[in-house]
Amino acid sequence: MNKIVNPEPLFVDEYTGEPPAKRVLGHIQSKREQGAAVAGLYCGYAPMELIHAMDIVPAVLCAFSNAQIEAAEEHLPANLCPLIKSSYGFVIRDTCPFYAVSDVVIAETTCDGKKKMFELMSHIRPLYVMDLPQVPDEKEARDEWKSMILKVKSFMEKHTGKSTTEDKIEASIKDTNRKNALMRKIFDYAAMQPPVVSWSELYDVIFIAMAAKGEEINPRLENIIEKLEKRVERGYFHGQPESPRVMVTGCPVGGDALKIFKIIEELGGVVVALDACTGMKSFMDDISEDTGDPVGAIAERYLRIPCSCMTPNNRRLTEMDKIIEKFKPDAVVDFVLHACHSYSIESFKVGAHIKNKHNIPFLKVITDYSDGDVEQIKTRVQALFESI
Amino acid sequence: MISAGIDIGSRTIKLVTFDGSRILSSKVRPNSYNTIDICREMLKGVPYDGIISTGYGRHLFSRHFDCEAISEIKAFTLGAFHTVPGCRTILDIGGQDTKAISLDENGKISKFEMNDKCAAGTGKFLEIMANALEFTMNEFIDSASSAEKAEPINSMCTVFAESEVISLIGRGALRDEVSLGIHNAIVKRSVSLMKRVSIRDNIVFVGGVANNRCVQSLIEKDVGTKISVPDNPQITGALGCALHHNEKAINSI
Repeated sequence: MNKIVNPEPLFVDEYTGEPPAKRVLGHIQSKREQGAAVAGLYCGYAPMELIHAMDIVPAVLCAFSNAQIEAAEEHLPANLCPLIKSSYGFVIRDTCPFYAVSDVVIAETTCDGKKKMFELMSHIRPLYVMDLPQVPDEKEARDEWKSMILKVKSFMEKHTGKSTTEDKIEASIKDTNRKNALMRKIFDYAAMQPPVVSWSELYDVIFIAMAAKGEEINPRLENIIEKLEKRVERGYFHGQPESPRVMVTGCPVGGDALKIFKIIEELGGVVVALDACTGMKSFMDDISEDTGDPVGAIAERYLRIPCSCMTPNNRRLTEMDKIIEKFKPDAVVDFVLHACHSYSIESFKVGAHIKNKHNIPFLKVITDYSDGDVEQIKTRVQALFESI
Repeated sequence: MISAGIDIGSRTIKLVTFDGSRILSSKVRPNSYNTIDICREMLKGVPYDGIISTGYGRHLFSRHFDCEAISEIKAFTLGAFHTVPGCRTILDIGGQDTKAISLDENGKISKFEMNDKCAAGTGKFLEIMANALEFTMNEFIDSASSAEKAEPINSMCTVFAESEVISLIGRGALRDEVSLGIHNAIVKRSVSLMKRVSIRDNIVFVGGVANNRCVQSLIEKDVGTKISVPDNPQITGALGCALHHNEKAINSI
């Protein structure tokens, strides 16, 4: 195969070549000028459809820069997860542009570190901590989470003056489902062998698709699909036909944590499946439509997110089976942030499952946002590729 | 045809040449800030047709010498399986790394584990502890081997362990018993690393620390079986590189 270089970028706009956060910030600012309120979010459990239905624009808050950690450690213990320290550093130094434009902040009890960190920043912006049920298959969980969604709705009404109706929430559910279907179509191009889309392109698309409504972003997603289709016709592919295909699962990956994707690519691999909350996770599932109880339907869908804070979280394994079947990775990297106990412990189960059920080489990488361990990670990733 | 392998570790650089059936030469030199200069010096006058690098400096070397670089895991696996055919578990304790690798019956890597990025439980750890006790390495090993019982060392962090050793001495603990305690600590950690990859029969112990017979006998006592240590365990990674080069050259003919 002759390698075609320089494919047309998926996005051609004033943000081409810039970090994807700029495009998202531009989107939020233009929505704000049109009168929308802004809700800052830290996690994939925030009910996006409700937020959109209230004419509030979601802003995923900064959490991935090593530079913010030093300031955070003035208040927080050093041996804490870097995502929590970075989030907090951004807030106390007022360096996160998304936080700066947020009218309210929505938080969840996904782990003890975040829960206690939220207490320390709750005086700066109106902040609501949603109590997340962590045994999601218990029959009470759905109603508990539904009541939390209704409570966060009242909280947002109070602090933004915005409101919504059941019909609008239902319409928002359908809007998300349409967007997710298009996103999954885009992911299909990563599933191709070889893939025709790179991890950084997927990352750019995911970044904006998380913040925007379907009706706002779908035309662009459709345009991206056309471009990808053209790449296929022209015979373009990303990486090399023999490049090891890698699925990266585990903790969220962004900013300085992107080093894991960069290392994989530098060593000749291609990242084809991004199985994290910052990756494909939120687009892989749909919300039930026309149930007559849209908030309940939202509650059910979000409780299906296979985060390691859930127990026993066997859904992570069954979801992974589907991803492996579709994206056909040659190796799996479990990306664990330092001191993220739930992902770190769960890694044992994940590793055994990958080995026993799929017989694919598996590597757990525990790291933080610094680049001090890049060489050590390279050794492990190289050995992982050599063992394929 | 002569294949060379170079293993650029944190403490030492190892060079091996191999002619397809036997090792022609091997060298070990301390590493320093001027790694490439040391490599050039080591290669001076050594005949070889091709070279492959491994170790922390592998990418640096491969850029300067335009050659292939393989991971230490692969290099040690090839070297150990050649030296001890049929081995199923490899323990490598180097200057700043400890690795445990389990192999299938064909010598293919089935699982590997490495220590974290710090020097806990590595050769560097032993050097610092010997220093804290004002021993040379050989005196340190003799001292540990002569002890009847051991002072417990609880910390595996090199810095904390050093202060633990100093406070033990301050309390009047016997130097030999502290030596043995330090050796026990490194063995405990290495064995637990091996258990993570599941210990199989036929264990090979390589890397610079494999020259330490006290560590060897303590591991044997812990796992309840004899372990193999090659004659020159430090060059295993460099040998693996040379073997890999040789195999590739044969396959490409």
